[in-house]
Amino acid sequence: MHKADEIGLTKRLYFNDGHEGSTLFGGIMDIKNVLKNLCEADYMGGVGNALAVAEKYLSQYATVRRSAYNVIGKMEGKSQSAILLDAHIDEIGMMVVAVTDDGFVKVTASGGIDYRMLAGMKVKIYGKETVTGVFCSVPPHLRGGDKSVPKLDELYIDTGLSEKAKDVVSVGDRVMFKQTFQELQGDFVTAKALDDRAGVAVLLRVAEILNGKELPRDVYFLFSDQEETTEAGAMTKTFELGPEEAIVVDVTFGNAPDIASDKAGVLGKGAMIGVSPSLDVNMCDSLKAVAKEKGILHQIEVMGRKTGTNADVMASVGSGVKCSLVSVPLRNMHTPVEVVNTNDIESAADIIAEYILSKM
Amino acid sequence: MERLKTLCELPGVSGREDAVREYIIGQIEDKAEVTVDRMGNVIAFVKGRKRAVKKVMADAHMDEVGFYITYITNDGLLKFNAIGMNVSVILGRRVKIGNVAGVIGMKPVHMLKEDAKDKMPEADSLYIDIGVSSREEAETLVSQGDCAVFDEGYEVLGDLVVSKALDDRVGCWALIDIISSEPEYDFYATFSVKEEVGFGARTAAYAVDPEFAVVLESTTAADIAGVEGEKRVCKVSGGAAISFMDNGTLYEKKLLDQVLTLAKEKGIPCQLKSAVAGANNAAGIHRTRCGVRTVAMSVPCRYIHSAASVASLDDVRAVRNLAEATINKMASGEIE
Repeated sequence: MHKADEIGLTKRLYFNDGHEGSTLFGGIMDIKNVLKNLCEADYMGGVGNALAVAEKYLSQYATVRRSAYNVIGKMEGKSQSAILLDAHIDEIGMMVVAVTDDGFVKVTASGGIDYRMLAGMKVKIYGKETVTGVFCSVPPHLRGGDKSVPKLDELYIDTGLSEKAKDVVSVGDRVMFKQTFQELQGDFVTAKALDDRAGVAVLLRVAEILNGKELPRDVYFLFSDQEETTEAGAMTKTFELGPEEAIVVDVTFGNAPDIASDKAGVLGKGAMIGVSPSLDVNMCDSLKAVAKEKGILHQIEVMGRKTGTNADVMASVGSGVKCSLVSVPLRNMHTPVEVVNTNDIESAADIIAEYILSKM
Repeated sequence: MERLKTLCELPGVSGREDAVREYIIGQIEDKAEVTVDRMGNVIAFVKGRKRAVKKVMADAHMDEVGFYITYITNDGLLKFNAIGMNVSVILGRRVKIGNVAGVIGMKPVHMLKEDAKDKMPEADSLYIDIGVSSREEAETLVSQGDCAVFDEGYEVLGDLVVSKALDDRVGCWALIDIISSEPEYDFYATFSVKEEVGFGARTAAYAVDPEFAVVLESTTAADIAGVEGEKRVCKVSGGAAISFMDNGTLYEKKLLDQVLTLAKEKGIPCQLKSAVAGANNAAGIHRTRCGVRTVAMSVPCRYIHSAASVASLDDVRAVRNLAEATINKMASGEIE
């Protein structure tokens, strides 16, 4: 993997003091505040408020509509051909499969969940009312020396409601992690669901940059449903919109001590431009060229086969869509303590906006 | 219960109870003669309406489980030692070191080999990430030896409450509440340090030199789905939990029986623990000087020693009321 300095880009573009302008384009969007509002609004499987929050932001810049549980925005350009920008709006979560007589709730996973972290973890259950739950944890000294890790189907959620739980919680109810947004040092932030609300924030920033500019072609924004489960949202909406090209914005693995450096991007060193046989090579090259020409900090992510994102399915929709992938490196993926650096969100947005504007 | 919320949300890892101590002293200093011993225990002489025939000490510990920062890596990550917890309840949690927020990260599930998914990571592989990229940057904010606590608030969970540090701020709450309600007899209240590392209230008990002691605690309740019979230990909403034996103390039968009778007379719900597990400050207190006749009463607490322990406020009140009645009975000289 090439790091920014290896390809001649050592200048950090974004300064917190705003001395040289906080971004390449300038602008007013407070990325941290956007992330806070997006992440603290939940969404999976038709439940939660994140669609409405994202839709409200996007409607400042684009003509917006809902299609099933997807948000679609359009900015008109000179040519009828269109580019589609996708970020998924759903987060990982769980669904209730049983409620015991004494008020404990069993769930199944919607998306990849590491059950090793669940003991004593707080969740929100979207029942008749939204209630807090805590994953039960059996103390080690009562497990008789059993050191195995209980799997999700062996775990229960405590609602504190005893026998009343059945009046509030039903089989099929959605369950998501309960976690607030928190700033860390500098431009690092933590929240649940940054996968992929960080991508949604990138697209909102792209829309802000493009707003009021003459666009070479139509630009569609898609906040797609069900990436974590079936990729049905991106698949069907790509068919509906029929774009010529698409850029998918998702998160990817960020650097951490137990991850080999060739398998992770460095947080704060720029968005990652994807290279993969499932992506369009010319688009990837153009994105790299734009980033280099405009001096936008970026990294390259090489994936040997598929990308594990919506791009994998979108490429073969209809008679085919040229796809590329721009990713925000993220730590602790699929946990309630995901971490990103907002510079990488700015970087992703700048690369995508420059790419769109460069195709006059 | 605003006071309990405040108490739970204060940071106070064993040995760093300063914020809790300061708050408690602020709550009781106009109602008691307060001193702090060399260990940091708060010792309060509470004047009642009547003089005590026998000297009684009631104890609750101020400290909670948490993290000591042991080392800062070149990348600015904080290595730590967890006090009173195993790995299963700290993965993926948010913590605070003073005002500095951090997270305990973990390798994404996507990158785990199949056999690693069923194995807890080693405790010494974990770290706190505060969002810096170098040791120099980290050292402007955090030092080796600083402490972290869970960044978790106090909230309602159905008919119960959930918070970090219910162990043992519920005991602190109960003692402050007893002190604040014009007690019948003189007694000593101690708010002790370092319980979670086993130091207990030994020095406080030495200083007070009581004949009787009441330990107000919280204890493991495993009354959850999938756990049956005696392994449940005690039941949330079942009243104050009384131990006849734990890993630190064999409680005196004659005293225990009188406390159980008292609870019945006063209509205070209580239950006997059904497992011999854990230990508390009774271990240190009852062996102080020539021995102290000691009883422990606890709030049953699910997921104790985690960021989200769960308890019933009815049980908190039961412990408070039974402790008050027991203190009075002991102080009056009526205990045989």
